[in-house]
Amino acid sequence: MSTQRPSHAPLTRRSFLRAAGIAGGVAITPAVFHTRAGAQETASPIGVDPAAKHGGTLRYAVHNAPAHFDVHQSGTVANIGPQSPMYDTLLRRHPKDGQTIIPDLAWKYEISRDGKVYTFHLRKGVKFHDGADFTAEDVKATYERIARPPKGVVIPRTPLFATVGDIVVVDPHKIEFRMTEARPKAFMLGAFASGWNIIVRKKTLEENQGNLRQVMNYPGTGPFRHVSRKDKELWVMERNPNYWNKGLPYVDRLEIYHMMPFSPELGASFLSGKVDYARLLDPVSWRKAKEMQGVTAAAFNQSVIQAFWTNMNKKPLADPRVRRAIHLAMDRPTLVEVVKDTAPMQVGGFVYPFHDFSTPRAELEKRLGYQRDVKPAVQEAKRLMKEAGYANGIRNLDFVVRDIATFKLWAVAIQAMLKEHLNIDTNLRVVQTSVWFDEAQAGNFDLAISAIVSTLMDPSDYFSAWYGKDGPQNYSRWTNPGFHDLANQIERELDDTKRKSLVRKAEDILEQDPPLIPVAYEQIYDAWYNKVRGQNPSTYFGIYDVVRWDQVWVAQT
Amino acid sequence: MRKYLARRAAYAAGTLLGVSLIIFVVLRILPGDPLVAILGVEGHARMSPADRVRIMADLGLSDPLPLQYGRWLVDIGAGRLGRSFFRGDTVAELIRHRGPISAEIGLLALVISWLVGLPVGILSAFRPNSVPDGVARTLSVLFIAIPGFWLGMLIVLALLFWFGYKAPIVIVHLWENPWQNFQIVIGPALVLGFAQGAYIARMSRSCLLEIIGEDFVRTARAKGVREGRVVFRHALPNALLPVITISGVLLGFVLGGSVAVEQAFGVPGLGRALVTAVIERDIIVVQNLVLLYASIFVIINVLVDLSYAWLDPRIRYG
Repeated sequence: MSTQRPSHAPLTRRSFLRAAGIAGGVAITPAVFHTRAGAQETASPIGVDPAAKHGGTLRYAVHNAPAHFDVHQSGTVANIGPQSPMYDTLLRRHPKDGQTIIPDLAWKYEISRDGKVYTFHLRKGVKFHDGADFTAEDVKATYERIARPPKGVVIPRTPLFATVGDIVVVDPHKIEFRMTEARPKAFMLGAFASGWNIIVRKKTLEENQGNLRQVMNYPGTGPFRHVSRKDKELWVMERNPNYWNKGLPYVDRLEIYHMMPFSPELGASFLSGKVDYARLLDPVSWRKAKEMQGVTAAAFNQSVIQAFWTNMNKKPLADPRVRRAIHLAMDRPTLVEVVKDTAPMQVGGFVYPFHDFSTPRAELEKRLGYQRDVKPAVQEAKRLMKEAGYANGIRNLDFVVRDIATFKLWAVAIQAMLKEHLNIDTNLRVVQTSVWFDEAQAGNFDLAISAIVSTLMDPSDYFSAWYGKDGPQNYSRWTNPGFHDLANQIERELDDTKRKSLVRKAEDILEQDPPLIPVAYEQIYDAWYNKVRGQNPSTYFGIYDVVRWDQVWVAQT
Repeated sequence: MRKYLARRAAYAAGTLLGVSLIIFVVLRILPGDPLVAILGVEGHARMSPADRVRIMADLGLSDPLPLQYGRWLVDIGAGRLGRSFFRGDTVAELIRHRGPISAEIGLLALVISWLVGLPVGILSAFRPNSVPDGVARTLSVLFIAIPGFWLGMLIVLALLFWFGYKAPIVIVHLWENPWQNFQIVIGPALVLGFAQGAYIARMSRSCLLEIIGEDFVRTARAKGVREGRVVFRHALPNALLPVITISGVLLGFVLGGSVAVEQAFGVPGLGRALVTAVIERDIIVVQNLVLLYASIFVIINVLVDLSYAWLDPRIRYG
């Protein structure tokens, strides 16, 4: 049976309107395409605030000095804190909330329908600090390096771009990332907006064989330019007069002081007015700052989990019942309390407690292992130990502790909880950080306490690193086929609702068969004198994305 | 005298060679991976064995140990102190920038220790078992017993909470701004100086007590010499020799103590640089700074020995 319409069908009102619509559509189509192809470059959403004052010096204290200068190779705020103001990224998080992703060096981006091609339209007229033009070749060189680092270069963000296949320069101001497999949009955009992925010059990378660890001042396109640096003391920058975002930055000079996080020195420097803005304050100084006139103090979430690992190669700990019992024996509200004067912490489980995908806090607090009243959890823990054949406890577990104040305090508290609740005896072994990682990677421990960080809050970032079968931070050597299968699905599922439900299922597995024992999640304490305007990090997560200071101004210059 | 000097120089060189060997070996056998500090926790966790080999080779750590040691000695001989593993800054630059602050603290502490310790020792010796002697002895024991870094932290906190004061947070050299420089060095110098002053007070008291029992002091008094002259002209010069000896040793303690005290006061001196380098396992910086400290200690002791002949004409070196 033919479905072809008769060629001489009578002209009805409906067919006339349809034909006219199609004709009109065809007529305007070239205009639409033309408009898109030659679309006007839009300004950055971070525009000039008419109330802002230009000039002055901002004195900012953050972390101790970096161990090297290669931001891509780093995983610490010691680099991103002082160096970020000199660089830009393709996309960025808006400083107003620290979460919304906005254009940066890419003024526009498009994602193909199948989610496998990300196209970035780059700003024209952007110059590096050495006067060179910024082009798509620089973006390609930067991301080729991040996605596929040369030998001897280790970049923690490489896994975020594992599915990036070809990076194609379409023209000097347009670049395409062609993926081998689609990934959730929020995950990929989060990766491109990460403060770590600064754009560096192709020439710089070539001249240094792709390794910038000892190159102190390599050109960026950022709002500030390098002036001078005194090792472990101070890094001075000046306003970039050729910054592409006209009118920014506001301050003429940025002085970044290197001070140990949570140290009395940092607290004293802020409280005495030697610095205008302090990041990573210790709780005692932060509380004091909060009481001061003319000072604002903010607390916000950080992408770091504090935990202890249980070595799966040691017999009692290989049993999930024993690990769950240890997990349930932890009085987490007390653990947060134990370090309250040393570092700010909050209770959480296996998924960031402040992420959309995690179990809501109210629900979490009703769950065994997170309740204020630990009796029901301890009762269940004892039952599990009995069932596993360890009703009388376990003797002589080697507990490796990183030589950092919080871990030492926690280790003693955890030792007491394990002894009191489950009759587990542990011997504390405090070691330097470098030794801790040697021991953890070699599997020379029964229990080992430390902290680990992720770039993104998205579970697809840290599920593989922390809990993945060959995850680099899966120090327990934990495996669970059910979980790994779910993690694979979470990585590939593009629908947020479905992902969320998969994450919850994964969380259930982790609760029953813990790969590590969560102790707490870090918070960040910042404080600043009210003359510093334009930034309030209260809604930020982490200290790795909004770190550029281009929108900050000083009221009294 | 020349022979003596040559012998002492040879001993000093031998001592420093021994120290260098010990530092070198200890830093290489201690557990802990310097790549943790270089790559960070996350980078270190993702490092492949091939990356490790490449990075260790870049740092010069994959060569045989005797070769590394020999190269270090040759570098020192040529006046090259090497570069930090991490940021590539030279150790010589580090010493040039931070050394003056630490030297000022050490010298000021020595002056303070004498200014405090000697008068207290004299007072105690000439009024033994009196109330001032009791107070002086108690305070001496107290300052010897209190850890310098703890006292330092108390001072920093007291100044902050009572007066909202904190010394400058970056190095200001004496020739740049003497007043700001004084604010940086005075705190650590006082803490170190009082601790060493306590030792000097105790030492000078016991030496003076011994001296004032001697016949020549009794004779001077019997001749009607004024007490001040008895003390300063007759007793003190004879009691000073052991005090000078202990001052040399104490200067060594000041160097060691300054590491913790600089940390407590947040003074970015050499001591603090050493602490950071140890934490980061920046082997090149640690071995060169420790050798520098050892060299200073050895030189001071040679100078103290040489000063004996000048202070006591009975002593002759052959």
